[in-house]
Amino acid sequence: MEMDNTTFGLTMLICGMGGTILTLWIMSLVMTALGRLFPEKAEPKKES
Amino acid sequence: MLEVILNGLGGLVAGFQALAMDWRSVVMLIVGGILLYLGIKKDCEPLLLVPIGFGCILVNVPLTDLMAKDGFLRVIYDAGVDTELFPLLIFIGIGAMTDFGPVLANPSTFLLGAAGQFGIFLTLLMALFFGFTKLEAVSIGIIGACDGPTAIYVTSKYAPHLLGAVSVAAYSYMALVPVIQPPIMRALTTKDERETIMKYSARPVSKTTKMLFPLVITILGGLIAPKGLPLLGSIMLGNLMRESGVVSRLTKASENEIANVVTLFLGLCIGATMSGAAFLRPQTLIILALGFMAICLDTACGILFAKGMRVLSGGKINPLIGAAGISAFPMAARVVQREGIKYNKKSYLIMHAMGANAGGQIGSVIAAAVMLSVLAGMGIIS
Amino acid sequence: MADEVLAPMPGKIIKILVKPGDDVLEEEEVLFLEAMKMDNPIFAPSSGKVKEILVREGDEVDVDRVLLIIE
Repeated sequence: MEMDNTTFGLTMLICGMGGTILTLWIMSLVMTALGRLFPEKAEPKKES
Repeated sequence: MLEVILNGLGGLVAGFQALAMDWRSVVMLIVGGILLYLGIKKDCEPLLLVPIGFGCILVNVPLTDLMAKDGFLRVIYDAGVDTELFPLLIFIGIGAMTDFGPVLANPSTFLLGAAGQFGIFLTLLMALFFGFTKLEAVSIGIIGACDGPTAIYVTSKYAPHLLGAVSVAAYSYMALVPVIQPPIMRALTTKDERETIMKYSARPVSKTTKMLFPLVITILGGLIAPKGLPLLGSIMLGNLMRESGVVSRLTKASENEIANVVTLFLGLCIGATMSGAAFLRPQTLIILALGFMAICLDTACGILFAKGMRVLSGGKINPLIGAAGISAFPMAARVVQREGIKYNKKSYLIMHAMGANAGGQIGSVIAAAVMLSVLAGMGIIS
Repeated sequence: MADEVLAPMPGKIIKILVKPGDDVLEEEEVLFLEAMKMDNPIFAPSSGKVKEILVREGDEVDVDRVLLIIE
């Protein structure tokens, strides 16, 4: 597939950096939500 | 009769003749020796450098056919490197060894793990500028992931002729992190910023969250960046095994026996790609230089991003922890801790730095996954 | 005026470098706390005399635990 290097490089920069930070941001939100849904109990609980 | 004897003796001398004819083999034998020296005497990543160094020596003794079609190094290479199996198996072990608790206690550190990967893409651009092809540039950029298995996975698949140079660059610079980072950390921060104390607030993470983490990340990450699922899935498998606590035999095997055997074979194979003809080209020097730039840019971007986070948080964040957003775990976190305490004796950044560092581990896998998936989207890889 | 030296993070006391009655200078190393597989030095927040050491070598401590008192 022919594409000049500048286009390729800039696309990779934008999609790559953007995609990475977006993905990790989404994951951080999901993990925050999960952390709230399943909090650490203060007293020890019997795990089923 | 005499002729036959002379021919027979000739078989014993041919090696020396061949060596004398190719100066590159001699140089590579010395390079192998240097790698062994660094590994053995200088304690510089010996687990990798010793097999790599010896593999390099083995492959550069002429007329041995070790990497020819049925040579024993070729067999191992085809079994584990060509198939991508080795880096993935090591990744299972890494996942089994890593505690993501500090990241989960403060998920915003994920973002530092993202910023620490920006060097990958900046280096990719620079590599293109130096005349490398698109896939070569991708493999050079991935040195910035600061992660051996990730770099090997990408390079062996998309630019296998660069495997030797990329691996040597990746592992050497990972070992040099304590030397490379501090000057950049100092240059990009003000005195006030460096001395910021970050209070440690223990936010315990439930066992359930720690077990859901690998599962959720695998599925979510796999949906967003499917090309990276082998990498992501491997590290998360290891982590799930660890956190579940019910397969400790498998977890221990992953961390120990499997990781050790594969490290040996992988190192040997990497060394086996370092024949004089492949390694001794101007390209290799450029790759080593670009790899260095990648780590520097990673560090710089991580710190700059952390400075931004500092502004948004009202001065609570010490930008030095941005340097721990790279995947060199736990080395980068320790560097941040040491630098932090150097500038302010009351400052203990280790817990936050560990969070950023573990975030960097995830970040580098996601960055590679995103990169590969974008390439697939563009049609450059299938 | 008494100054409390608190643990900055959870860990294990690996080594205590001073005794009650010792004179210490500000920013002098007083003990080592092992956390995250690193030996972290803890420094005196001010100059003075060590009044009391409330932990022993080998103790596991939590964040903000009082380790020693200087006056």
